[in-house]
Amino acid sequence: MREQPRRPAARLAALLLLLALINTVIWFHGQQIRQRQQQALPKLHIVTAALGLTDLAVATEARYTRHPAVSDPLAAFMDHPGAIEHFPTGSFWAPPPLLREPHPSAAALRRRPNGEGS
Amino acid sequence: MKQQLAKQLNLLDFALSSLWRRRGKNAGVMLVFTAVIFLLASFHLVTSALTERAGEILAPGPDIVIQKMSAGRQEAIPLAYRQELRDFFGIRRVVPRIWGYYFDEVRLANYTVIGIDPARMPMAEHLGQSLAAGDFPGPVAESDGPPPAAVGGLIAETLDVAPGAYFSLFRPDLSLQTFEVSGVFAEATDLLSGDLIAMELASARDLFQIPAGRVTDLCVYVHNPAEIDNLARRISEVLPDTRVLTRGQIERTYQAVFGWRSGMAAVCLLAALAAFVILAWDKASGLSPEERREVAILKMVGWETADVMIMRAQEALVVAGGAFLLGITLAWVHVLYFDAALFRPVLVGWSVIYPSFGLAPRIELADLLLLFALTVPPYLAATVIPTWRSAAVPAENALNE
Amino acid sequence: MMTMLIELEKVAKIYNRGAANEVRALAGIDLRVAAGEAVCLKGPSGSGKSTLLAIIGCVMPPTSGRAAIAGKQLARLPDRFLTLHRRRTIGFIFQRFNLLPALTVLANVTLPLLPLGVSPVEQRRRGRRLLERLGIEHRENFPAGRISGGELQRVAIARALINEPPLILADEPTAHLDTRLSHEFMAIMAELKAEGKTIVITSHDPLVAEDKVVDRVLEVIDGQIVAA
Repeated sequence: MREQPRRPAARLAALLLLLALINTVIWFHGQQIRQRQQQALPKLHIVTAALGLTDLAVATEARYTRHPAVSDPLAAFMDHPGAIEHFPTGSFWAPPPLLREPHPSAAALRRRPNGEGS
Repeated sequence: MKQQLAKQLNLLDFALSSLWRRRGKNAGVMLVFTAVIFLLASFHLVTSALTERAGEILAPGPDIVIQKMSAGRQEAIPLAYRQELRDFFGIRRVVPRIWGYYFDEVRLANYTVIGIDPARMPMAEHLGQSLAAGDFPGPVAESDGPPPAAVGGLIAETLDVAPGAYFSLFRPDLSLQTFEVSGVFAEATDLLSGDLIAMELASARDLFQIPAGRVTDLCVYVHNPAEIDNLARRISEVLPDTRVLTRGQIERTYQAVFGWRSGMAAVCLLAALAAFVILAWDKASGLSPEERREVAILKMVGWETADVMIMRAQEALVVAGGAFLLGITLAWVHVLYFDAALFRPVLVGWSVIYPSFGLAPRIELADLLLLFALTVPPYLAATVIPTWRSAAVPAENALNE
Repeated sequence: MMTMLIELEKVAKIYNRGAANEVRALAGIDLRVAAGEAVCLKGPSGSGKSTLLAIIGCVMPPTSGRAAIAGKQLARLPDRFLTLHRRRTIGFIFQRFNLLPALTVLANVTLPLLPLGVSPVEQRRRGRRLLERLGIEHRENFPAGRISGGELQRVAIARALINEPPLILADEPTAHLDTRLSHEFMAIMAELKAEGKTIVITSHDPLVAEDKVVDRVLEVIDGQIVAA
């Protein structure tokens, strides 16, 4: 009886199975890490609340990427008006929607009875 | 039904053998495809994980933050502005705060300095729990010793200090202010406190030489969270030269800061687009004479057009689908085990101090499906359509070429 | 009463009908071939014998006229059923063999079996049986691009026989073979005829036309059969 070689489809199935296994292991490990993070959450909440923090300390090189949530609109142009972006993180972090929304004060200005501002 | 399955398996066998026969070229295609999906998936995993993490961690922040603006830039806000808010019924508390940046010229590192009144900030009495060692500075006593400050774990490493040690920072007039390390924040809080130096309000005022009667911002806490936007609007009417930020606006920052309009996202997308255009153009420009001949021979030995197309579709699915699965897996590993190492240079830039993210991204089915839909069907179409056109040509014409 | 395997009545084939480059490949062909018969179609190139073979081979239906192969009317069959009918009825041996050089000999031979859902085990069994019969079982795992011309021909014949069709069509089979191999080919045809298969060969090789296997020699000139 001559040997029967494994058909290609079976080999593909084996590969897919292996991949599925790897992904399952990774997924479970990810879940474990998440659980650990959840356990540390109370400590983080204390720091946020007690210090009134508004941003994560991810990029510490520029004001507007260190605190994108509360940076004033001109922080990105702090050096001079024509300066081009020179912080690498500035290319990764888009300006927050805050800076693209109408300012609440602008709404206040528009409502002034004597029509100042527009 | 069983015969149908047997037929599909046979076609799959042929498709796989065919791929293996041209394994060099197919490996190249798969590599490019995998790289593209890896890039897109990694970017998505990192940014969505960071966004989610930010949302979780920053939830208990202040309800409203008030900053004073002058010539479009932030400047110190007078404490007297609190008087204007005294009559606001919905406001529970207005707490002044001083925070700013300190650039260490020796180490080229930026530190964030925060000065608070521990008696008035919410949960400040529990700050000790978030420290790995030592205590959070209490009210500064009129003593001879240097004022205390709690530092983030990464700063403690950078300055090589532990509780009880001293470090000095320059005031604006270049005089030195020495601090005693009262405590070090726990490593678990690095993502918030890594670059922080936290101290009592008066110490921060002294360090930055901010005049008495001014602070950098006011934190406002309300009774009813549903009233935040309403109160914010009224505050901005009463204090027109200020910038009033609500918690909602602050939260939305992280939902959009890594959006598709950011530079890195544009780079990833463009790279992906370019790769796909090249692949698709190569495929759609038609089959080579060899491939056409193969299709003709298959038809002559009794394969239907549909059989040929199914076989080619299976080929494309194995390449594209395989690349997709591999790309996703690699992206996952990249973010989970390598802390998104490939993106770090742009995520942290020139930062000297940066925490490890320790991200455990959540992979949503919807994201997977979207990525799949954007990558695999176009490749399938680019592969199957030329085959269909070739198979539709009467076989003997192709063979007589 | 002999069963007619091939019945062509006033069959015509026009390419690019109505266009400026209209070509009348066949003009009113009448042909009847009984089961078990071996026929040789002779004719110069451009005579239409390849087109005739293609119609007999259920590759395409005629433009006009009646063509029935193994009892089925070609004109009425949609493309899909044409293919199915061809699969069951015809074994084609091409002039240039038309094997896939990158595939092994065995894989080439069993190629027609794949879309039929035949299991790999059964594929190998049938393929090996034919290879043994034709004396090339030792080439089973060789890529078809690396075997000799004579072996290639046997592989082509094996592939044509894998579905056990009643009708064998060969288009200029000896065009690229030496005399010895041509004789070998005709010997195999004789075996097949003895098994009851019907054989139609197009060839202008006198070796083929004059072989004792051939019952009739028909001349095709300008799309018409001249001798009967």
